[in-house]
Amino acid sequence: MRDMTLGQYYPADSFTHKLDPRVKLLLVIAFIVMVFLVKNLIAYSAIILCVVIGTLVSRIPLIKVLKSIKGIIFLVLFTAVLNLIFHKGETVLWSWWRITISVEGIFFSLKMALRLILLVAGTTLLTYTTTPTGLTDGMESLMYPLKLIKVPTHDIAVIMSIALRFIPILSEEVDKIMMAQKARGASFDTGGIVKRAKALLPVLIPLFVSAFRRADELALALDARCYNATPNRTRYQVMKLSYRDVIAVLGTAVFLVSVIALNMNFWGAYVPPENLWWLFS
Amino acid sequence: MQIKVEDLSYVYSPKTPFEKVALDGVSFTVNEGDTIGIIGSTGSGKSTLCQHFNALIRISHGKIYVGDKDLTARKLDLLALRKEIGMLFQFPEYQLFDDTVAKDVEFGPKNFGYGKEEAARLAEEALVMVGMNYAEVKNKSPFELSGGEKRRAAIAGVIASKPSVLVLDEPTAGLDPIGKREILELVNDLKKSFLKTVIMISHNMDEIAANCNRVIVLHNGKLLYDTTPEQLFSDPEAIAATDLGYPHSVHIKRLLAERGIELDTPALDADSLLAALKRRYSL
Ligand SMILES: Nc1ncnc2c1ncn2[C@@H]1O[C@H](COP(=O)(O)OP(=O)(O)O)[C@@H](O)[C@H]1O
Ligand SMILES: [Mg+2]
Repeated sequence: MRDMTLGQYYPADSFTHKLDPRVKLLLVIAFIVMVFLVKNLIAYSAIILCVVIGTLVSRIPLIKVLKSIKGIIFLVLFTAVLNLIFHKGETVLWSWWRITISVEGIFFSLKMALRLILLVAGTTLLTYTTTPTGLTDGMESLMYPLKLIKVPTHDIAVIMSIALRFIPILSEEVDKIMMAQKARGASFDTGGIVKRAKALLPVLIPLFVSAFRRADELALALDARCYNATPNRTRYQVMKLSYRDVIAVLGTAVFLVSVIALNMNFWGAYVPPENLWWLFS
Repeated sequence: MQIKVEDLSYVYSPKTPFEKVALDGVSFTVNEGDTIGIIGSTGSGKSTLCQHFNALIRISHGKIYVGDKDLTARKLDLLALRKEIGMLFQFPEYQLFDDTVAKDVEFGPKNFGYGKEEAARLAEEALVMVGMNYAEVKNKSPFELSGGEKRRAAIAGVIASKPSVLVLDEPTAGLDPIGKREILELVNDLKKSFLKTVIMISHNMDEIAANCNRVIVLHNGKLLYDTTPEQLFSDPEAIAATDLGYPHSVHIKRLLAERGIELDTPALDADSLLAALKRRYSL
């Protein structure tokens, strides 16, 4: 339970960790746009380089990033197979009924798989290097325009940060309750699906009871400190832009431009060599 | 049945920034009939150690033998082991889940393979043993009970399957003095019937001194002392090194000693302190 990788902060002292969360959020959005812009394999290499450099400057072990990819490997394979057999291409290699496998199909499915993997690898860099508080504060700040049209952005941010804070608490609670029930002979990994689902009841019920209890206690604690979501609350940690943010933005911009350039084959200024055509498809 | 721990170490989240050595080369033996106290400051590894005994945590380094069972064995009969070694967690009331108290207490016995009627009988016995009115509570929802009653129902759920070893993780935490005393009396009663060995984690030195025949002191995951309460509490160095504190009776004895009144007793509980005072002044 505690090894949950998706959305888990990985403490380290790095360039990326010190970036302003708002900048990181915007850079990730730029990154996502970039991933959806790429057309050919050579442009992908720029993005791969971008992720690798991002990982290196974040001082996150490569294995951690690979682990986050492991979580979506099934989705990647599934879409790759679908793309492979249903993509209509010209250079047909093999076909049967409605299924055709073509050279174009192979490239298309490869690119889509790569796109998904890069998407996850890039975005987990954000959650690895930013604390949940940083994320919600950053989002709240970026939602400023919505605040002008009376959307309760602060409430939304508080709800988000409480929800994020509760994830580790509840997962710890699940561990404890499971242990207590195991000590009474419960077993969670034997039997068929129905039996296993039923075996979870002795965990889920105490979990809900305790979640409600905790929510009540939290509400009381907030009330006792006279908390309310009035405007103009000051912050303990004020977000400030620094030279690092400028460097990060410029660096990402370089990649964005090069992806567009590579995509368009340098505005047609360059004819790919015969034997390298596949790089540019 | 003997429990033998050899060079046990455990690390949480190894090879990550969250890495935490919880146990570091712990060895000791629990003999049948012992009431062992495990003490040490918060985070010293007491719970981690105890969760090894019934294989809730699988051993990653070291050995544990329960009777002739090797807990590192690949094919380990977990159910038999957990029936033999009951475990009462800290704040056990949070593990209640079923719609009636009786059904909740039957959960353990049923998992351990008892039939419906047998389980119901064991549940009744257990609820009576913890001092609850069976007829009154059996059809109540466990969530309707008061705090103290919830804890007793949860304890019934653990002892219903009659383990021969009971591990208690801070069983009296968060109870009022009467509740504390009731729990300890219950443990002593159980030891006169089916229970053979008790392993008790506690922060309350009074409880340890009065109930245990041996104490294990953990400090930062290491075993510092494996001794008797008598020796431990007469060793000011040991107490200072582990910031445990003295039981009240020992504390009073030491205060008296400072004023030149020496008593011929380890004073592990109020009764022996009082008896020694009476002896000294020939009352
Ligand atoms: N599930 C867990 N994951 C990570 N670390 C843990 C976990 N449980 C305990 N620890 C850590 O291991 C150490 C020993 O914990 P524990 O055995 O609970 O100590 P005690 O019961 O003596 O207070 C503590 O530092 C604690 O923070
Ligand atoms: Mg503990």
